[in-house]
Amino acid sequence: MKALAAKSEELLATFALGGIMLLPLAEIFSRKFLGAGIPGSGPFAQNLTMWVGLLGAAIAARQGKLLSLATGEFLPKGPIGNVAHIIAGAVGSMVATLFAFGGVALVKSDRLAGDIIAIGVPVWISDLVLPFAFGVIAIRLAHRASPNWLGRGIAALGIVAGIYISMHLDILEGQSLLPWMMLVIVAGVLGAPIFTLLGGIAVFAFLVAGSKPIVLMIKAYEELTTSSGLAAIPLFTLAGFLLAEGKSSERLLRVFRAWFGWAPGGTAVAAATLCAFFTLFTGGSGVTILVLGGLLLPTLMKDGYRERFSIGLLTASGSLGLLFPLSLPLMLYGIVAQNVSIEDLFVGGLIPGLLMLGLLALYGIREGVIAKAQRTPFTFKEAGGALWEAKWELFLPAFVLGSFLGGVATLGESAPMAALYTLLVQRFVHRDLPTWGDVVRVMGDCVALVGGVLLILAVAAGLTNFLVDAQVPTRLIDWTQAHIHSHLTFLLALNLFLLLVGTLMDIFSAIVVVVPLLLPLAQIYDINPIHLGIIFVANLELGFLHPPLGLNLLLASVRFKKPVLEVTWATLPMFGILALGVLLITYIPWLTLGLLHWMGRG
Amino acid sequence: MFGSRRLLSAALIAITTSVVVLSAAPVTIKLATLAPVNTTWHKALLDMGETWNKTTEGRVKLQVYAGGTQGDEASTLRMMRPGVETLQAGLYTSGGLALIDDAFNVMGMPFFFETDEEELAVQTKLTPVLEQRLNAKGFHLLNWGTGGWVQIFSKKPLKTLDDVKGSKLYTSKGDDKMVQWYTRNAFHPVALLPTEIPAQLKLSTGLIDTAPYPPYIALTLQVFRDAKYMLDARLAPLVGATIISNETWKKISPEDQAKVTTAALAMEARARAEGPKQDADSVTAMKARGLEVIVPDAKAAADFRSASAKLVASMRGDMVPADIYDMAVAARDAYRKTKGK
Repeated sequence: MKALAAKSEELLATFALGGIMLLPLAEIFSRKFLGAGIPGSGPFAQNLTMWVGLLGAAIAARQGKLLSLATGEFLPKGPIGNVAHIIAGAVGSMVATLFAFGGVALVKSDRLAGDIIAIGVPVWISDLVLPFAFGVIAIRLAHRASPNWLGRGIAALGIVAGIYISMHLDILEGQSLLPWMMLVIVAGVLGAPIFTLLGGIAVFAFLVAGSKPIVLMIKAYEELTTSSGLAAIPLFTLAGFLLAEGKSSERLLRVFRAWFGWAPGGTAVAAATLCAFFTLFTGGSGVTILVLGGLLLPTLMKDGYRERFSIGLLTASGSLGLLFPLSLPLMLYGIVAQNVSIEDLFVGGLIPGLLMLGLLALYGIREGVIAKAQRTPFTFKEAGGALWEAKWELFLPAFVLGSFLGGVATLGESAPMAALYTLLVQRFVHRDLPTWGDVVRVMGDCVALVGGVLLILAVAAGLTNFLVDAQVPTRLIDWTQAHIHSHLTFLLALNLFLLLVGTLMDIFSAIVVVVPLLLPLAQIYDINPIHLGIIFVANLELGFLHPPLGLNLLLASVRFKKPVLEVTWATLPMFGILALGVLLITYIPWLTLGLLHWMGRG
Repeated sequence: MFGSRRLLSAALIAITTSVVVLSAAPVTIKLATLAPVNTTWHKALLDMGETWNKTTEGRVKLQVYAGGTQGDEASTLRMMRPGVETLQAGLYTSGGLALIDDAFNVMGMPFFFETDEEELAVQTKLTPVLEQRLNAKGFHLLNWGTGGWVQIFSKKPLKTLDDVKGSKLYTSKGDDKMVQWYTRNAFHPVALLPTEIPAQLKLSTGLIDTAPYPPYIALTLQVFRDAKYMLDARLAPLVGATIISNETWKKISPEDQAKVTTAALAMEARARAEGPKQDADSVTAMKARGLEVIVPDAKAAADFRSASAKLVASMRGDMVPADIYDMAVAARDAYRKTKGK
């Protein structure tokens, strides 16, 4: 029964993801050859993006993959940890329940108004996913709060509280926000998902002000159905997840080794490059380390690199791709910042990304020389053969980049093409996905990751609304202007602040929450929004390695079966090198903007 | 005994009166609009709010959220509905109004009007019907707004209708029927959010290279820096309207309703009177900073006119309800007759 429910959830999400992949392509085809568009293809694809996000979030909740603050990792095992989990679960499920009822209210309101998406399909049908997803998430948060039914029962009191408040929406009106805010923050620190932290503050702020949770759902709907770049996030992620299946990584490693392997440190350079290549699709979610770690560590050690260096290099490389085109965080930054073009961000990130990769490569070469690591002589036969074998994989980035930098296709067009292309290649050419069941499984994994991100994006819109109402941005600007007087001091403060943010929050939540507050500040200190975006992502890339909670450290510790402390120690030199890179990127705007100016885009 | 009872009743009366006073408590109207901050529309709304506050002695207050800070038009409409009521009023474009009722598309039909006077004649004729339809959906019409004539701003010079059809033209996202209509008629529409236009025009490989704007907005948003050409085709007047939710409207006493209406109509009249000058001044200012205005030659103009009749007719019954469309055509043609056209 449970398995059936899980399966149908995955199928539904797959269907929605397939829709946002195929609808735009069908539209292009129809316009080109039939001279007419497909009625509603645009709005339907947008609504399906919301479905992908919310169903994905529900799946993530089932798998315990909803993004949460890193502080939860500190909790001791045993009774204290158990109590903390139950508190986090109770508060989390209370907030999710409030949202679920807000979703019900939205369905009713839209039904009454009779609004239509297109060709007679009413908006309320699409709204249904809101109460469904949040309801399921509420139940799952309570269920996962404890391994025993007593604990689950206590956590489920959060659902009861949520229902009670939803039935008496004016009960909190005029009360102080502070205790509720503290409750939500404490739960967040104890490991409740970040969306309940952000959304919780917003929903209680709304309730004490006499407003209703439905407004948050209106905002969530708007956030998930209007931005044209949003669908690109799940689609490029899908391409990455599909590539991560099967033997693509081996084929690509062969290419990079054939071309770089002759030089000192060549294998290290090849490994870092391969990691960067994979990360640009999966968005630094740690998939890179998990997928490639098992392949690359033995390869490096076989060629004579020391284990400590190899672990450090792979841990650091796990987020190297974040500055390159198609990186998820860059796309998300573009969406959150609104007036920034995602394509410009991609161009702006090219040189900084190469700089970071280059710095690590230099260190790898040094290591290669010291350790007298083995080199493979260059032969045209191997170089050509490797290229030919990996032609399908290599064509993908070339095609995507070429198409939108060359103005042939837009991001919204190239994303579904890239996803479909990878799907067809992996399913039929390489047969890395032997059955359609595998396709559904990979799509399920993909939407679970994307759902966690889009969920935060959805509820953060309400929080932003509250912050603007409470004039937080204005006060922040006043405070900063009173304390920071120069461009350079601001940049330094920004680096330190972002490093702190990066250790606490995952990169996606950080972008959604912090960017709206930073943009007006950056404007005052005359920092180009593209440059800010690159600084932001570069800093958070570093945050992945920042002890004690950097995500890559934790993942590498799991993957390589080494204590976190040992991984941290191994990664320290790379951390130092990348920190230097971040400083260069921050203080030399030309690295970001030079290419843009040269291309006439800046 | 008696004394205390009198005291009690006095207290009761005091309480009841204070309850009465409370129920006539000031109505605060939160109004959202996409009109950018500090534009003439924003200022006009603020002025109207001040007048409301003054003439109703503080019983009706207005808070304006300009520049789309409360969300897009679809969202803010939802926020005005019964049961939500976070917002009470809004200044909407005809596109936003069409989300409530298709009939409002009639005011945005391309090449349907040629002059302000024609538009006014049709608007006057249609107002009672549109008011009624709006009322049935839960909103009260406060006033009409004019945003000037929409012109075609492009990165490449466009001279003819075929040029326009060949361009990557901005259309408003969320209005699928309009997108379909454009596509059917061999245009190349790209559905975007209004906020996305400037960034996309900046790109050499942007999603769009052409966007319709009234000159004043093109100036305010500085799109003319990237889209350096303006085809003086007078596509359509940008019509908007200020609406208030029926629930809120009912909370205002009839006397105050009259005062609120007077100020709203004064805002409408002022915008109408100042519109043409605003258009002309904006074009002059942009020309001084490099905008090139292309006036269609006689043949191109005739093409536009003949094609427009066909284009507009295809909207009947699809995007614009047939009865409303027929009323508009009748009103426009009647007006043209009086002018001897």
